[in-house]
Amino acid sequence: MTHIVVDPVTRIEGHLRVEAEVDHGAVTDAWSSSTMFRGIELILKGRDPRDAWLFAQRICGVCTTVHAIASIRSVENAIGARPPPNARLLRNLIQSAQAVQDHVVHFYHLHALDWVDVVSALSADPAKTSSLAESISDWPLSSTKYFTGVKARLKTFIDRGQLGPFANAYWGHPAYRLPPEANLMAVAHYLEALDFQREFIKLHAILGGKNPHLQSFLVGGMATPVDPDKQASLNTGTIAKLRVLINKAHDFVSRVYIPDVLAIAGFYKDWAGIGAGVGNYLVYGDYPDGDEPGAPLFFPSGIIRGRDISKLERVDPLRITESVKHAWYDYRGGDDTALHPSQGETQPHYTGPKPPFERLDTNAKYSWLKSPRYDGQPMEVGPLSRMLVAYVSGHPQVKKHVDGALSALGVGPTALFSTLGRIAARAIETIVLTEKMQSWLDELGANMAGGDLRIHDNSKWDPATWPKEAFGAGFHEAPRGALGHWVHIKDGVIANYQCIVPSTWNAGPRDGAGLRGPYEASLLGTPVHDPEQPLEILRTLHSFDPCMACGVHVVDVKRREIVRVRMQ
Amino acid sequence: MSSLLILGLGNVLCADDGVGVAATVALLRRYQPARGVRVLDGGTLGLSLLPELARADAAILVDAIRADGPPGTLVRLEQEDVARAAISRLSVHQVSVADLLDGASLLGRCPPRLVLCGVVPESMELRLGLSPSVAAALPALIESVLREAAALGKPFRERRRKQNVSVDDDIHRLLGL
Repeated sequence: MTHIVVDPVTRIEGHLRVEAEVDHGAVTDAWSSSTMFRGIELILKGRDPRDAWLFAQRICGVCTTVHAIASIRSVENAIGARPPPNARLLRNLIQSAQAVQDHVVHFYHLHALDWVDVVSALSADPAKTSSLAESISDWPLSSTKYFTGVKARLKTFIDRGQLGPFANAYWGHPAYRLPPEANLMAVAHYLEALDFQREFIKLHAILGGKNPHLQSFLVGGMATPVDPDKQASLNTGTIAKLRVLINKAHDFVSRVYIPDVLAIAGFYKDWAGIGAGVGNYLVYGDYPDGDEPGAPLFFPSGIIRGRDISKLERVDPLRITESVKHAWYDYRGGDDTALHPSQGETQPHYTGPKPPFERLDTNAKYSWLKSPRYDGQPMEVGPLSRMLVAYVSGHPQVKKHVDGALSALGVGPTALFSTLGRIAARAIETIVLTEKMQSWLDELGANMAGGDLRIHDNSKWDPATWPKEAFGAGFHEAPRGALGHWVHIKDGVIANYQCIVPSTWNAGPRDGAGLRGPYEASLLGTPVHDPEQPLEILRTLHSFDPCMACGVHVVDVKRREIVRVRMQ
Repeated sequence: MSSLLILGLGNVLCADDGVGVAATVALLRRYQPARGVRVLDGGTLGLSLLPELARADAAILVDAIRADGPPGTLVRLEQEDVARAAISRLSVHQVSVADLLDGASLLGRCPPRLVLCGVVPESMELRLGLSPSVAAALPALIESVLREAAALGKPFRERRRKQNVSVDDDIHRLLGL
């Protein structure tokens, strides 16, 4: 039995650690730990709820906007504010842009190198790479000359002895299976995606004043004046700019991202049978396509349990609880209670080992994440959950792309319950969103042209209009999954605030009943060729898109010195 | 016309890690850049700075750097040595600078001339303001940036009157810069 510690070293942030037991070449048990305390909930107490989103948004600088959205929705829910259609459309555009950019970055920059061997790309034949690229897509950057140039730059870079972003991976590991040409093509697209994502996210700067951490949100709507004819407003010119960005995104996603995912997946079909985990999928649903309460959501809500896609359950948020049995918090009622977030408590109490440490005591508390449960069950959240629920709901666009991917790979729907399924679902969600963004933009343009310039409901802006005490919940489908904020407002200020973020659902520790969280469960049975190079563990963990900089290819395997690993 | 980018790097919330930013802010208060010179607070933006770097013919990075010598020691690196140092020797934000330089070189967009003016930090703990040893080295660090700019044919001029107060200026003062 080998005990492996994967403790990714951070870039700026980053605080996910996984310990795993490996026996006879497979993972027999795993523990997921977050090693950093958040605490924004405590900072929010006593503040004006209309300001909460500005603070909450700072929970993360990667999935920026998501906590702002969940926060304003929770406050709107509490005080009864109703954002007008233009605000809904702007929010949908901002959110979907976040998801599209985040998913592209995740695939190319945080996850692809688990599947693509960069060093092998150096032995690729550029002419054959060009044929391969042209066989899977009509993307114009595909000539022999182009790939010759990429290969030359890569060679200069690697010959200099600096692997840079490609350091600390396990080049040459037998689990890498792509031919050199596919590796070179993927490296070229890795570099193209750097430019794409930076260009595309200008959409956030245009609609939010800056990126990350947009500044144009407002409880009750948006702070963005819309007027087709005014220079200082979101006008016809802005709509035209946004259209260019959205079209470019659709172009890149449909002609590069999707073909790459399908091409790479073709070499790794065994990963459609690995990494499923808990098999329960939770989706709050998002992207309202109407303005009345209960309007349809473009991504529907629902629950799938036990990998049974014949049944779709309704979501009842009152059945959500959090346990701190294995988390470094105290509950007034003791460790065996599980609290609904509207009654949630944040009383940090670290009882773990003093860092730096070798191992966590996983029989006791071992994470800064609580264990969220629905009906007492762990739930996976994220693109796979969303695409499964949409697929089962008969969502036409999702169904078209899911069926297309399944038939391209020659696998059935059960292949989705896997590491590969998460990767495919993320890509499918991206293309479905880039298609839909165009119609939200059209709708916004049509509203403006028709003279509907409303952007904010200020009927509830004055705290004098609020009840003395109010509870609210705000839900959002963030790139990484179901996000909820719960606010308790009393006498005009925040009395209590709780967030359950997607990575808490996915990366949380065992609960009071000993049930593993989704990361932990997904690793069981994962083959590990070499415990010193746990590439396979990273593949499954990264497929969830951990929001804790676990995406970084810098891994400290137990007792290896970090800097030494980095320099290899 | 050729262009020069002067990039202050680091996190001003982590004491001396922010010395690069402090140096560029102080530099601009007293000196007027020549035409074609852009002085930028790059913070910890990393790869997001790529377009700025890509359009420059020369770049001077100003940053905290781990090196031999006591805190406050000035360090000068150029060309290949800058990227090499970014991997192992820069401070908290080292990976983001390495990302930037690696990205630029992989995309074939690294400026032909690259210089790093660095200073050895005393403390990188979470607080505003420079440590005494690093604060004492700040004038010499600024001098070294001025010299590098002059050597690249882009000398600064001393401002005749104080720079007008801007919103940025207020923020800089709030941050103790």
